[in-house]
Amino acid sequence: MWDFIVERRGQIAYNTLQHANLVIQAVLVATVIAVVLAVLITRAPRLQGVANALSAIGLTIPSFALVGILLPLTSIGTVTAVVAVTFYAVLPILRNAVVGLQGVDQILVESSRGMGMSELASLWRVRLPLAWPVILAGVRTSTQMSMGVAAIAAYVLGPGLGGYIFKGLSQIGGANAINYAVVGTVGVIVIALIVDVLLLLLGRLTVSKGIRV
Amino acid sequence: MTDTLPATRSDSDVGATPAPTGSSRRIARLDRETTLMLIVPPVLVLLVFAGYVLWRQTADLDGTELRQLRWSTVITLIWEHVRLTFVSSALVVAIAVPLGVLLTRGRFRRLSPLVVGVANIGQAAPSLGLIVLLAIWLGFGFWTAVLALTLYGLLPVLRNTITGLQGVDPTLVEAGRGIGMSSAAVLFRVELPLAVPVIMAGVRTALVLVVGTATLATFINGGGLGDILQTGISLFRFSLMIAGAVLVALLALLIEWLGRVLELLTRPKGL
Repeated sequence: MWDFIVERRGQIAYNTLQHANLVIQAVLVATVIAVVLAVLITRAPRLQGVANALSAIGLTIPSFALVGILLPLTSIGTVTAVVAVTFYAVLPILRNAVVGLQGVDQILVESSRGMGMSELASLWRVRLPLAWPVILAGVRTSTQMSMGVAAIAAYVLGPGLGGYIFKGLSQIGGANAINYAVVGTVGVIVIALIVDVLLLLLGRLTVSKGIRV
Repeated sequence: MTDTLPATRSDSDVGATPAPTGSSRRIARLDRETTLMLIVPPVLVLLVFAGYVLWRQTADLDGTELRQLRWSTVITLIWEHVRLTFVSSALVVAIAVPLGVLLTRGRFRRLSPLVVGVANIGQAAPSLGLIVLLAIWLGFGFWTAVLALTLYGLLPVLRNTITGLQGVDPTLVEAGRGIGMSSAAVLFRVELPLAVPVIMAGVRTALVLVVGTATLATFINGGGLGDILQTGISLFRFSLMIAGAVLVALLALLIEWLGRVLELLTRPKGL
């Protein structure tokens, strides 16, 4: 096992970075999409149930099925992987962002308006900072989930560590099957944990001082 | 009681989502969502399935496609998928609920953060990797797939069982003991019934996780609707990809809906 890793360390490092890269970029884009959607949704409270129902339905669709649906549109390769990962990444963040924004006390919003903040300023300086810890919790859920989706997207030649798992599968009986599968799986767990720690740190740095627990 | 938004795929937001301030508004919102989720998915499933049947009867399919989408084949695959899902979910409940109960009793209580922590890290393992590694270790087939799915579905039920039991008001437990109930009687007649809604939310999450992951069972000859998808992707037939994806998605939606119905039905009347 050790020789296997040392021999291929360059390639393994490259694929690990690709995996992390794919997930992080997808989650970043997803966070922006989800927060914007959540801001729009919280303006129309009637939409909230609908939004939650849609996100529950979205999360129910198996990722392998979404890859199959996307394939005719986006063809084999990275684009399919990016779209699939981003799609799933949006949903938990959207849900949490709606809950978080909704949880902001209306009185605070009114006071900020009373102090002369524009609606945008009140959103940016009052509502989003107060909702941020909840949104960030959604981002963590999302990131963890995306790691697995990205692995599955490797079936249609998406980038990252999933390729090793499929290689292990196709070489079963061969000498390196288990090495490939272990490197792929453990690699994903390791980056998932590292990114999770980084997100916790990000939380320490970005959660407004006044509401830290 | 405890905070449980209807849990999502990986369910980590059960603990993470704090209760918003206006609790009455929140209940109204959940109700709206619950109603929507009870009505919309079955209707959607029926409509899309009708569309599928229409397409299937009129589309111009070649030999390979016909072979894969023959009704008898499709029904067998659906049955395999359902069997994978239900066997694994039953095992999940049979393991996770007693384990959760054990981890909230006396001496074992201290272990519960440790066990949940380990399970959390386990959840970071990609489902695909878990399935492939188990297949390399134990060989291909239905039962290997069931084992992988069971491991994968454990965490949400375990975590919600522990959360649910911890959320029971201790004064109720004391009251139970006070009127002369044994600790077993308190567990079965007070604590578990009160925790059922939370546990069932976990069961629904597990069902959704398991039915989705069961799609991957095809890679290790475990059967299920993933077969159509896999054939479609490896032969690059759009018709098979879409048909497989649609059928899997419909089944998943139906199972999710079943989970919601179960949740409603098992809720103790007093709550």
